[in-house]
Amino acid sequence: MSTAEENGVKETVKRFILSSIAIADLDDDDNLFESGIVNSLFAVQLMTFIEKTFAIEVEMDDLDIDNFKSLNATTAFVIRKNGRRSG
Amino acid sequence: MVKRAVFMQHLLTDQQKARHIEFKNFVTLNIEPFAEQWDREQRIPDHVISMLAKSGYLGSSLPPDYGGQGWDIVTFGLLNEALGKGSSSLTGVLTVQSMVSMALLKWGTDEQKATWLPPLAKGKIIGAFALTEPGAGSAIQSLTTEFTQCSLDNSLILNGQKQWISCGQHAGIFLVFGKLGKSSIACLVPATTPGLEVEAIHGLMGFRAAGLAKLTFNNVKVRSSDIVGKPGFALSHVAQVGLQYGRISTACSGLGLLRGCFEESIAYAAVRKIAEKNVGEFGMIRSLIARMGTDLEAGSFLCHNACRSEDDHVPEAFEKTLTAKYFTSRAAVRAASDAVQIRGASGCHESSSVSRYYRDAKIMEIIEGTTQIHEEILGKIFVDQADRSGT
Repeated sequence: MSTAEENGVKETVKRFILSSIAIADLDDDDNLFESGIVNSLFAVQLMTFIEKTFAIEVEMDDLDIDNFKSLNATTAFVIRKNGRRSG
Repeated sequence: MVKRAVFMQHLLTDQQKARHIEFKNFVTLNIEPFAEQWDREQRIPDHVISMLAKSGYLGSSLPPDYGGQGWDIVTFGLLNEALGKGSSSLTGVLTVQSMVSMALLKWGTDEQKATWLPPLAKGKIIGAFALTEPGAGSAIQSLTTEFTQCSLDNSLILNGQKQWISCGQHAGIFLVFGKLGKSSIACLVPATTPGLEVEAIHGLMGFRAAGLAKLTFNNVKVRSSDIVGKPGFALSHVAQVGLQYGRISTACSGLGLLRGCFEESIAYAAVRKIAEKNVGEFGMIRSLIARMGTDLEAGSFLCHNACRSEDDHVPEAFEKTLTAKYFTSRAAVRAASDAVQIRGASGCHESSSVSRYYRDAKIMEIIEGTTQIHEEILGKIFVDQADRSGT
């Protein structure tokens, strides 16, 4: 995957996160789940969003906080699931 | 009896409309004549659950690969709406079966799915969602049911209590939630597992035939292969998938109860006379019926929107489902109270369906998250949206 494509994934995920939680901006490595800003539905909503948007399925083996804890982590997960090499 | 078209008929496909008619006919024939009796006896006969199974209703949303019907979620909603008018207690079987089945479909291992989904789809086994505890209801983060690692092998040892578990009396398999150290965990526990005691709960105000049970786990051994999902994700992912279907089911069941109140009320208002005038000619009664009919229409939109969003697999589906459940459960309580009021003394007798609706409706505001929990979550979502838009 090219850097441009990776940035596209990241920007799409970022727009969703910013539309879902009450923060003004988000750094690439901000921990979404330690900050206390997300509601109890956010984890499954984020999962559903990336499944729908990137046509992937989050499976039992994917349940690892390192796959979803930040914008960078989620972007890397989407790229891996799509079977493409990052960057 | 006057029949109202509900659930946004113009938004349904011909197949969905045909199935809704089939579901309503099933209810008229097999449920409504017996619902008061089940309520009095505080039990649904096994042959009735077998009838649900035979009709394919217990595996309605599971894929055909596992023996399910593969119906869309709008159709699942229509099924719950139809059954909800007949008996909230019986609809509870659909509710928990879908909660366990769909959580397992999403997060189960291949072995778990191959073992459990076909019998769940065919209704050969009933599942129950063991989340609520004596000290933890809607605040599911407060669970105290404890799993510990067995020192001898790779298994887990389960201790604790679950309370108010719908269909616990009928269940052959429980999806049990608890803590493993600081992590949440979900495991499948067959009802026959040594150390598990299932105790029927009687004397409920509503939902009297829903087979509620108290579960006590005393050093119950659980195989590591029976863990669903992974430790740490039981509440955030496994439970939320189950609760999503539980809320869709409850929202639509509440809508069916609301329709029952409305149909009973307009039929009664059309024939019951007071001083040579039909009850329906009095403005006070018309006001009650107007509110009921408007809530029915609004609830139909909200339920369809929730089901359709789940079919579309969009993240908004969770919020729309909370909204639908919040609305129909509260509207059902109002409608049931007004339906009893319209009928007067006859609505207070156990032979009257509105008296049962009155008791069952309140339960709708409590199960799958109380009204207050819905307000807490939805209120935060809406305020956050205002923050983002700068309003």
